[in-house]
Amino acid sequence: MSKPLDFAFLLSGQYHDALVAGLVTTLELSGLALAAALALGVIVAVLRLAPAAPPRWIAAVYIEFVRNTPLLVQLLFWYFGAPQLLPQPVLDWLYARNFEFAAAFVGLALYTAAFIAEDIRSGVRAIPRTQMEAARACGMHYLQAMRLVILPQALRAMVPPLVNQALNLVKNSSLAMAIGVAELMYQTREVESYTFRSFEAFAAATTLYLLLSLAITAGAAAYEWRATKHRVA
Amino acid sequence: MRRLATLLPALALAFAALGARADLLADIRSRGEIVVGVKDSVPPFGFIEEGSRRVVGYDIDFAAAIARGLGVRLRAVPVTTATRIPELQQGKIDLIVATMTRTAQREEQIDFSFRYFVTGQKVLVKKSARIAKVEQLSGRKVSSVRGSTSEQNIRAAVPAVQVVAFSDYPAAFLALSQGKVQAMTTDETILLALQLKASSPSDYVLLDGYISEEPYGIGIRKGETALRDAVNRILLDLEKSGEAKKIYETWFGPKSQLPLKRSFRIESGK
Repeated sequence: MSKPLDFAFLLSGQYHDALVAGLVTTLELSGLALAAALALGVIVAVLRLAPAAPPRWIAAVYIEFVRNTPLLVQLLFWYFGAPQLLPQPVLDWLYARNFEFAAAFVGLALYTAAFIAEDIRSGVRAIPRTQMEAARACGMHYLQAMRLVILPQALRAMVPPLVNQALNLVKNSSLAMAIGVAELMYQTREVESYTFRSFEAFAAATTLYLLLSLAITAGAAAYEWRATKHRVA
Repeated sequence: MRRLATLLPALALAFAALGARADLLADIRSRGEIVVGVKDSVPPFGFIEEGSRRVVGYDIDFAAAIARGLGVRLRAVPVTTATRIPELQQGKIDLIVATMTRTAQREEQIDFSFRYFVTGQKVLVKKSARIAKVEQLSGRKVSSVRGSTSEQNIRAAVPAVQVVAFSDYPAAFLALSQGKVQAMTTDETILLALQLKASSPSDYVLLDGYISEEPYGIGIRKGETALRDAVNRILLDLEKSGEAKKIYETWFGPKSQLPLKRSFRIESGK
């Protein structure tokens, strides 16, 4: 009773355009969220490793809270829950724009930043303590030491875990469809609902996600190759 | 001996024919149970009753009547707009009684019974949005449910509309109530039910005019003609005995939460 597979409707026409639009939105969302998550992750990691207790605790609470609640719950919170605390004029300004995308961006960036912060922390812990001691002995304070000595060494070694987080982010971006973001998974479900061709639609989506992930992995491999080219060992 | 020789092939053919008739209806009868996909968050068609936590509603009453008519138990399974047809096609459910509009596109995938309810697609707006006509939705945001006919119809009616689709009706309504979208569009009865459940129903108003007429039908897997004929027979009996009208009065009558005049009858061929 199943009809023969027919991919023609995906190669041109309205369904093709819908999937491409979804892919573009996924790229935009993932790219922006990844950039923000990397920046925020570095900041949170530096806080987490600070000598003073208050920054350490703030960072630890943030990391534990975000890592231990489901991303879907967090996205629903940022879209439906958090805005209720803002004043109405701000809300009107926000809702006139693409608030769905903004909420998904905030949720994804905060979520991934917590994981990236922990990866950076383990990368920094792999640097011998003598590096920090030497930097402090040269007269740098904690933040200067992190910025000029520790982090550059740690980040180069941390490319594999960071690639992991980037791939997770791309896949997690599909959850944004629950708050109305018209990304790839949303468009795939739409195409599937209207054409009833589940297999072809999901095969196309899977292929596109796979290509995206492979591109990220290839980019990271190229960076690693270039970064270690000048090493002696 | 010669008569046996001619009798045996005839008997074999007869048994083969019996085997060919063992279809879904026979399976259901031998199982003693029919699995029906219903909605569980769309009052008054299928929703969870507060006290008993059971799924009740107009659709469930019809499903129960069909189960009684076939002489089997009913097992109601929650489905969503997006999953109901795939689940039927994969055999996870035997029937769909879940606010499903009969459309030409869906008729290519599954069979429908006669209509058991008729409504239309409308638009719900907040009075504060100051939208009085459907055409004014051009360039504005409208919420709906992913994969529904309402989404396609509103795009056809107002080409420049921006549709934000959610996975279920409560989420789409929440977006409207929070002002994230200016309007919500789906079947009139669903909109009315959501409006009445809201914390201040008078903030909302239904725009005049049906965007499309939506006859609800029961979904049956393609080719299961015995089951479809049995369901249609039961539906016609329900109309003739007045039971269909009684079910309607329970959920849409004057004393119900959602009073609506009954403007249709279950008829053969419709």
